[in-house]
Amino acid sequence: MNSFIVKGLVLAGVLIVATLVVIKQMHIDLSDPINLITFLGAIAIAVLTFGVGAKYMAQMKTDTAGGELAEENWDGIGEYKNELPAGWAWSFFGTMVWAVWYFLWGYPLNAYSQIGEYNKEVKAYNAKFEKKFEAAAKDPATLRDMGESIFLVQCAPCHGETGDGLSGKAQDFEQRMSKKQVLAVLKSGQHQLMYPLGAMPAGLASGQQAEEVAAYIAGGMKGKAPAAWATCAGCHGQDGTGNGGTAPNLKTYDETLVTHVLKHGKTGIIGHMPAFPGRFTPIQEKALAAYLQTLKQ
Amino acid sequence: MQSSAALEYDYSVAKLYMWTAVIFGIVGMTIGVLIASQLAFPELNYLFGEYGTFSRLRPLHTNVVIYGFTVSGIFATFYYSAQRVLKVSMGESKLLNGLGYLQFILYLIAATGMVISELMGITASKEYAQMEWPLDVLIVVIWVLWGVIMFGLIGMRREKALYISMWYYIACFLGVAMLYLFNNMEVPTIFFSGGVGAWYHSVSMYAGTNDALVQWWWGHNAVAFVFTVPIIAIIYYFLPKESGQAVYSYKLSLLSFWGLMFVYLWAGGHHLLWSTVPDWMQTMGSVFSVVLILPSWGSAINMLLTMKGEWNQLTENPLIKFMVLASTFYMLSTLEGPIQAVKSVNAIAHFTDWIPGHVHDGVLGWVAFMIFAALMHMATRAFKREIYSKSLLEAQFWIQTTGVVLYFTSMWIAGITQGMMWRAVDEYGNLMYSFIDTVSVLHPYYTIRAIGGLLYLIGMFMFAYNFLMTATAGRKLEQEPQFRSPMA
Amino acid sequence: MFHWLEKNPFLFSVGVFIVIAFAGLVEILPNFAEASRPIKGLKPYTVLQLAGKEVYKKDNCIACHSQLIRPFKSETDRYGKYSLSGEYAYDRPFLWGSKRTGPDLHRVGNYRTPDWHANHMWDPKSVVPDSIMPAYKHQFKNVADMKTAYAEAVTVKKVFNTPYGDEIQPGKAAFEKYYKTIALPEALKIAKAMKNKDVLAMVQQGKIPEIVALVAYLERLK
Ligand code: HEC
Ligand code: HEC
Ligand code: HEC
Ligand code: HEM
Ligand code: HEM
Ligand SMILES: [Ca+2]
Ligand SMILES: [Ca+2]
Ligand SMILES: [Cu+2]
Repeated sequence: MNSFIVKGLVLAGVLIVATLVVIKQMHIDLSDPINLITFLGAIAIAVLTFGVGAKYMAQMKTDTAGGELAEENWDGIGEYKNELPAGWAWSFFGTMVWAVWYFLWGYPLNAYSQIGEYNKEVKAYNAKFEKKFEAAAKDPATLRDMGESIFLVQCAPCHGETGDGLSGKAQDFEQRMSKKQVLAVLKSGQHQLMYPLGAMPAGLASGQQAEEVAAYIAGGMKGKAPAAWATCAGCHGQDGTGNGGTAPNLKTYDETLVTHVLKHGKTGIIGHMPAFPGRFTPIQEKALAAYLQTLKQ
Repeated sequence: MQSSAALEYDYSVAKLYMWTAVIFGIVGMTIGVLIASQLAFPELNYLFGEYGTFSRLRPLHTNVVIYGFTVSGIFATFYYSAQRVLKVSMGESKLLNGLGYLQFILYLIAATGMVISELMGITASKEYAQMEWPLDVLIVVIWVLWGVIMFGLIGMRREKALYISMWYYIACFLGVAMLYLFNNMEVPTIFFSGGVGAWYHSVSMYAGTNDALVQWWWGHNAVAFVFTVPIIAIIYYFLPKESGQAVYSYKLSLLSFWGLMFVYLWAGGHHLLWSTVPDWMQTMGSVFSVVLILPSWGSAINMLLTMKGEWNQLTENPLIKFMVLASTFYMLSTLEGPIQAVKSVNAIAHFTDWIPGHVHDGVLGWVAFMIFAALMHMATRAFKREIYSKSLLEAQFWIQTTGVVLYFTSMWIAGITQGMMWRAVDEYGNLMYSFIDTVSVLHPYYTIRAIGGLLYLIGMFMFAYNFLMTATAGRKLEQEPQFRSPMA
Repeated sequence: MFHWLEKNPFLFSVGVFIVIAFAGLVEILPNFAEASRPIKGLKPYTVLQLAGKEVYKKDNCIACHSQLIRPFKSETDRYGKYSLSGEYAYDRPFLWGSKRTGPDLHRVGNYRTPDWHANHMWDPKSVVPDSIMPAYKHQFKNVADMKTAYAEAVTVKKVFNTPYGDEIQPGKAAFEKYYKTIALPEALKIAKAMKNKDVLAMVQQGKIPEIVALVAYLERLK
C-alpha cells in the first residue's frame, strides 16, 4: 500500500521540481504573491491527485469489495448500499459551508473590487520602485540597461532588436538622421514635435547648400560646418544640440527629443511612428534616450 | 427481473456511430498533431495554402474531436447501453430504429457541413460554437431526434428504475439543449439586408460582455455536458460491466450526480476572471469551482472503489487499465481546473498553455480513454467477435499513456513559465521580457508536446486497426460474454 | 432514498432541468442591460472595419490573440489601459479569446501602423525574426466580402438600434452607393499608408483586398 503512495508522491515531486528549475532559470520571483499562490496551487494539484489516486490503486491490491447489495440489477450490474467515504463526505460538506460563508459574509464584507485592487497594485509598485528609479537615473550604465529592456519590449518590433530599423522599415538608430531625411525636412518643413520654437520652416536651404548641410548632419556633424549651417544654428544651436531644448537636437537622441517623439509621434519619409503618450515615466524616457545614444556606431 | 437472454438487442445504429467515432478520432487527432507541430515548427503552416494555417485548423481540430469523435462515442454508447439497462430493444420499435437511422444521416450531413465551413473560414468565431445558423438548425433537429428516441426507449422500458448511466444521458440531453439554444441566438443578416451579403452569415444576439457571459456559460458547460456528464454515463456502465463488480455505493452515485448538476452551471465564470464581467460573478465562478471538486471526485472514487480488491483484473485486462487510468485523469483535471479557477492562480494560468494542458488531461486521459474502452467492449457484443489482439491493446495503452504524460507535463511547465514571464519585472520595475521572448522559450515544450501527441496518434491508429480487425476478422463468439470481453 | 424519483423519468428530468437552469437565471440575466451600454464617444464600426473583423474571424486570429487587457500592472505596461466593458458594446460576437499564443491586440491600433501590419501579415519573420505566427499572404489577394459586412451593419442598425446614419440602408443600390462614396475612399487611405504597390493598385481598381479591411479593423483597436 505505502509503496504506491510513495511512487505517486515521487511523481508529483519530479514534476514540481522540474517546474521550479525552469522558472528559476527565467529569474522568476517567487515572493510575488501571485506567483507564490500559483506555485502552491500546482503543488496541491500534483500531490493530491497522485497521492489520493495512488491510495485507491493500493486498495485494489489489498482490500476486498463487499457490502450489502441493492435488490436492483441492470444488465448484470449490481449496486452496493455502502456508506459514503467519510473523507469525501466531510470535504464536500466543508466546501459547501465555506462557499456559503464566503459568499454571504466573507466576500461582501471585503467590498472587493478588482479595479480597486489594480489601483493598490500600482500604488505598491510605485512605492517599491520610486527610490530605485531615482538611483538609476543617476547612473548612466544602469540607465542604459533600463533603456534597453524597455526598448526590447516596446520598440524592437518596429526598430528591430538592434535598433537598425529593419532595413528601412523604421528609423535606424545607428545614425541620428540620414541625408535623405534632412533633405526632405528642408524641402517641406516640419511641424509635429511641438518644440518651443514651433515649426521648422520649409525652404531654408536648397540646392548645393542643402546638400552640404544634409551631408554634414548625416555625417554626425564632424569637422567644419558648411556655410549654410549658420541659418540652422540660429535655432538648433551652434553645435546642433538643439539650443537648450527649444528645437530638436540634430546630433544625437537626447532626452528632449525622445520625449517629444514619444509624446507626439512622428511621420516622416520612412513612415509613421505612433505616439506613446503617458506610457512611460520621465525616468523611463530618459533611459530610452540613453540607450538610443549608445546605438550610434 | 427477466432474464436478458430473452431479448435480442439491435445494435445497428450503435454500430454506425462506433465507426464514425473511430474515423473522426483519426482525423481529429491527426489535425491535433499537425497544429501542435506548427507551433514548434511554423513552416508547417504552408502545406495547404490558406486552408492549412494553424488558425484555420485549430477550430477544425476542436470541432472534429468534440462533435465528431466524442459525440459519436456518446451516441454509440447510448444506443448500445440504454437498450441494455432499460431492457428494451431498439428492434422492438420500427419507428425508433428508423429515427435512429435518420438521426445518423443528419449527423453525417451536419458533420460534413461543419468540416467544410470551418475550412472555408465560415465561422461565428465563438469557441466550441463556431457553426453558423444553418448548421445550428440541423443540430437542433438531430438533438430533438435523440430526445425522442431516448424518451421513447424510456417509455418502453422493462426495468422500472433508471440506472445511473441513464441519469447522466438525460442530463446530457437537457443540458446541451438548453445551453446550445441560448448561446446560438443569432440573427441571420440576409433577412434584413435586402438581399445583400452571404446567406449563411449571422450576428450574435448579444454584444461584448453579455456575449462573453453567455458564451462561457455555454463553453464551460459544453465541457460539463459533453466531456464530463456523458462520459460518466459511459464509465458507470462499462467499468462495472467489464469487471463484473457491483458499483461501490449508491449513495455516492446519488450525491455526486445531484451535486454535479447543481454546482457545474455556476462555475462558468472561471473563464472570465479578471475580465469586465462584474466582480461578484467572477467570485461566484471561483467559489463554485472549488466546491465542484467533490462531486467530480465522487464519481471517480466510486469507480475506483468498485475495483477494490481487483488488482488481478487491472493487470490482466487492458480495458480495465484504460478505465481505471481514465478515472485518475478525471481526478487530475477536476482538481487542476478548480485550482486554475482561483483568481490568483488564474492570473497566471489564463491565456497560457497551462489551459490546453488541463484540457488534454481531461480529453486524452479521460474522454478518449473511456471511449476506446467502451468501443472495444461493445465491439465484442455488437459484432459477436473476440477482440482481435490483446497485446496490441496493451501496447496502445502504454504508448498513449506516455503520450498524455508528455503532453501534460510539457504544457504545465510551459504555461506556468510563460504566465510568470509575462508578469516578471527587472530590479527597476520594467517588464523583463518582450513578448517574443516568452514565445521563443516555449519551443522545446511545444516540441515535446508534438511528440507526445504523435505517440497518442500512433496509439489511435493501433486502435483503429484493432477495431477494424475485431469487427471483421476476430474469432466468432458463440455466446455473448457476461462480463469480461474475450480477447486474443 | 431517492429511488422514487429514479422510477419516474418525467419528474426526474424536470428535476434535473430546474437544477441546471437555475444558475443561468441568477448569473446571466441581472447584468444584461448594464453591460451593453457603450462608453462615451464610442462609434460603431465602419463597414470596412466590419469587413476586417470578418477577416479576423475567417482566419481565426482569436486562436492566438486575445482582446482583453486585464487590470494588472504588467498588462497595462505592456498593452495600455485595462479594458472596459463599454468598449465592447458593438462587438458581436465578443472576441476576447482564451489563449495568448501571440500578444493581446485590444489596443494594437495605438502602437502599430498600417505599413507595419502590411510587412507583418505578409511575413511575420521580416519584422520579428523569431515569430511563430503564420504569414497571411492570401489576404493580399482575396477580395474582402464587403457585402456581408454591409449586411451586418444594416442588421445591427435595424435589430439592435446601433447608431448608424442614413448611409446604411437595406438593398443593393444603397450598398453600391455606400461602397463608392464611403468605403472605397476609406480603403484608399489605408492602402496608401500600407505602402504596398499591388494592394494600392487593387484598391484603385475598385477592389478591396482582405488585408486592407483587416488593417482598418486593427487600426480601430485602440
Ligand atoms: C526657426 C527655427 C529653425 C531654423 C532656422 C531651423 N530649424 Fe530645423 N527645426 C526647428 C524646429 C522647431 C523643429 C521641430 C519641428 C517639429 O515640430 O517637427 C526642427 C526640426 C528639424 C529637423 C527634423 C528633426 C527630427 O528629428 O524630426 C531637421 C532635420 C532640421 N530641423 C534641420 C534644420 C536645418 C538643416 C536647418 C538649417 C538649414 C534648420 N533646421 C533650421 C526649428 C528650426
Ligand atoms: C509601429 C512602429 C514603431 C514603434 C512601435 C516605434 N517606432 Fe519609433 N519610429 C518608427 C518609424 C516608422 C520612425 C521613422 C519616422 C520617420 O519617417 O521619420 C520612427 C522614428 C523614431 C525616432 C526618431 C525620430 C526622429 O526625429 O528622428 C525615435 C527617437 C523613435 N522612433 C523612438 C522610438 C521609441 C523609443 C519607441 C518605443 C517606445 C519606438 N520608437 C517605437 C516606428 C515605430
Ligand atoms: C500561431 C499563432 C498566431 C496566429 C494564428 C496569429 N498570430 Fe498574430 N502573433 C503571433 C505571435 C507569436 C506574435 C508575436 C510575434 C510577432 O509579432 O510576430 C503575433 C503578433 C501579432 C501582432 C503584433 C502585435 C504586437 O503587439 O506586436 C498583430 C497585429 C497580429 N499578430 C495580428 C494577427 C492577425 C490579424 C492574425 C490573424 C489573421 C494573427 N495575428 C494570427 C501568433 C499568431
Ligand atoms: C471540477 C471541474 C473543472 C473545473 C472547475 C475546471 C476549470 C477550468 C478553468 C478554470 C479553466 C480555464 C479558464 C481560463 O482561464 O481560460 C478551464 C478550461 C478548460 N477546461 Fe476545465 N475544469 C474542470 C474540469 C474539466 C474537465 C473534466 C475537462 C475535460 C474533460 C475540462 C475541459 C476544459 C476545457 C476544454 C477548457 C478550455 C476552455 C477554453 O477554450 O478556454 N475541464 N477549466
Ligand atoms: C493526438 C492528440 C492531440 C493533440 C496532439 C492535440 C493538440 C492540440 C493543440 C496543439 C491544441 C491547441 C492548443 C493551443 O492553441 O495552444 C489543441 C486544442 C484543443 N484540443 Fe487537442 N489534441 C489532441 C487530441 C484531442 C482530443 C482527443 C480532444 C477531445 C476529445 C481534444 C480537444 C481539444 C480542445 C477542446 C482544445 C481547445 C483547448 C482550448 O481552447 O483551451 N484534443 N489540441
Ligand atoms: Ca452558431
Ligand atoms: Ca480556448
Ligand atoms: Cu470551465
